[in-house]
Amino acid sequence: MNEHVAVVDLGYGDAGKGTVVDALCDRGRIRAVLRFNGGAQAAHNVVTEDGRQHTFAQFGSGTLRGVPTHLTRFVVVDPLALAAEAAALGNPYELLTVDGDALLATPWHRAANQRRERARGGSRHGSCGMGVGETMAYALGHPHAPRVADTLSRTGLRRRLAAVESDLGPAGVPLDDVVDAYLAFGRTVAIVGTPYGERLLTEGACVFEGAQGVLLDEWRGWHPHTTWSTTTFDNVAELCGSFTRLGVVRTYTTRHGAGPFVTEDPALNLPEGHNATGEWQGAFRVGHFDAVAHRYAVEVAGGVDALAVTHLDIPDSCPELRICESYAVDGEPWTRIEPGPARDLGHQEALTARLNRAEPRTLSRPADWPEAIEGLLSAPVEIESYGPSSADKKFRNRIH
Amino acid sequence: MGSGRWSTDVWTAADNYRRASGKSAFAYSDSGARKAHPALDPKGVTKRESRDSDEHPFSTPIAVLFDVTGSMGGVPRVLQTKLPQLLGLLTRKDYVTDPHILFGAVGDATCDRVPLQIGQFESDNRMDEDLARIVLEGGGGGQMTESYELAMYFMARHTALDSFSKRGKRGYLFLIGDEMPYAKVHPREVEKFIGERTEPISTEELVVELQRTFDVYYLLPTAAGHGGNRDVLQRWRGLLGQNVLELDDLDAVCETIALTVGLGEGTIDLDAGLDDLVDAGSSHRGTVSKALAPLQRNGVVRRGTLSVGTAKSGNERL
Repeated sequence: MNEHVAVVDLGYGDAGKGTVVDALCDRGRIRAVLRFNGGAQAAHNVVTEDGRQHTFAQFGSGTLRGVPTHLTRFVVVDPLALAAEAAALGNPYELLTVDGDALLATPWHRAANQRRERARGGSRHGSCGMGVGETMAYALGHPHAPRVADTLSRTGLRRRLAAVESDLGPAGVPLDDVVDAYLAFGRTVAIVGTPYGERLLTEGACVFEGAQGVLLDEWRGWHPHTTWSTTTFDNVAELCGSFTRLGVVRTYTTRHGAGPFVTEDPALNLPEGHNATGEWQGAFRVGHFDAVAHRYAVEVAGGVDALAVTHLDIPDSCPELRICESYAVDGEPWTRIEPGPARDLGHQEALTARLNRAEPRTLSRPADWPEAIEGLLSAPVEIESYGPSSADKKFRNRIH
Repeated sequence: MGSGRWSTDVWTAADNYRRASGKSAFAYSDSGARKAHPALDPKGVTKRESRDSDEHPFSTPIAVLFDVTGSMGGVPRVLQTKLPQLLGLLTRKDYVTDPHILFGAVGDATCDRVPLQIGQFESDNRMDEDLARIVLEGGGGGQMTESYELAMYFMARHTALDSFSKRGKRGYLFLIGDEMPYAKVHPREVEKFIGERTEPISTEELVVELQRTFDVYYLLPTAAGHGGNRDVLQRWRGLLGQNVLELDDLDAVCETIALTVGLGEGTIDLDAGLDDLVDAGSSHRGTVSKALAPLQRNGVVRRGTLSVGTAKSGNERL
């Protein structure tokens, strides 16, 4: 492979982007992994052949192979979580560069996020409680929201963090301690300008690692149960002129927390290794492969060049697992979720209401899962994954 | 999704960064190394090269050598943590085309075991590895002299710069320290540390030779042992003229170097460069402005075409 590849989850997250990125980094000479959305709330699991396991949040999923990570300006950077993740990895700061223009998440954003979710009581949105959305929201109304480059200067940083504290209310931590920790971050990580990312793209093939999934996209997901992040290829297109669009799906559909999930089936016996009920996200939900929602994801993502299908070892051990090809709503068949106008949250909210009334209409079990998914999503399967490690992946060598 | 597996308290994070930076930035030196890392040992090195490539067709060599002896106190450690940001600063604002950066260290050849360490010209973060390998000797004599002349000898005779050989364009050399060079290059030291025979050369002659291929600057941090010392300043001003800069705040070292290069390249004037610093969130406008005051030339180099033939004098064109 000699071209840049963007790895995007076509579901609600958890499809296996981490393991796909790791396999791409194992296979080709990858210059760097670039993160282009989300922040510390990402959790991408990688298991290497020699048994090392890490759940990547801000470091890219190629880190265990020595591939550098670049956090682009679209990432919400959390220096506190980053320190902990780095320590867990043996502090490989030499593998990390961060765009100085990226937003900084702070304890005050985190506290505000948790207060907001707590206030929602039983109708939580399924946020991770890391303050990523709160950071994005704050930046919209505050042009001087703290950014990564601010950690290079004590006075400027203190001023900006103090503004966040005064705007969002206390978080039970002294301002000056946060300033010290963030300055330590600024001294330790390599903070670079936007041209650095552009240069990486000229120096070799890069992998863009997406966070969350297209069905959680801030504009295209089931509002309000979405993430405050562009999860489609849109950010990648802003960073890079040409790349292969790789969509990732699991053989079954999963969702963390609240929101429509038409094919949900708690009776399915699907043990989950890495995902558990989170205090802020709520339960981990499973269901049949939702071809209707995934087709919608492909459409709103602007199409994909190829697919990676993960958990192909599961259908054998779960004979009840099916593929849902169409829904029924109010007694009528519904086979295509038509994308609405761009950035129309009213439309998305109405869509959510309709999805809440929908139920699976046709459920079928294919003999050949990759072939069936290829046909339903109209894109070739490039990577088949039968297990957690890179050795469990089959490349079909049809994309370059 | 859903992280939060790790502690996110500020004190743990600050402590982690402190320990991590201590480890990654000074690992080689702190491990007790008492000789130059093989990657930085100048002995037997033919040339350190700054070459054009397809990706970087107009390379600009920039060398930064700093004094690692005792009089500099904690300065080298601060430099080691600050200098990795240099490349980002240079490229962020397009001050310079295709920078190639080399890091090195200067000690005292009369009494140190590692008086000279010279890395490679690199165009990406690999140069940071050289920084991490620099041995901080911490020795040095009490006579206010270090072997800068030995370092300058290496830079004059053991570098190959495409920018110079292809385009006649000099590189930039920054020496950061707080003492004077010895009066001449000693053939015995050249043989011992660089591994070749040479004639004795006065430091004055050597600087003239070095300035054929490099614009040479001396940065004197006032935080260092002999910071602000009049004799030191006078000696270097005698050698380098206005290219001797005093630096009040070591944290501004990268900004100072970046703007000096930008001024040298004619891509900015001082005011625009200082404004860029403020835009980039730097708090060092005052420090850098003060440090660079000697370099402020009257008038600004105009970019864009000048009209020819309408002026009265024949000296209008720059």
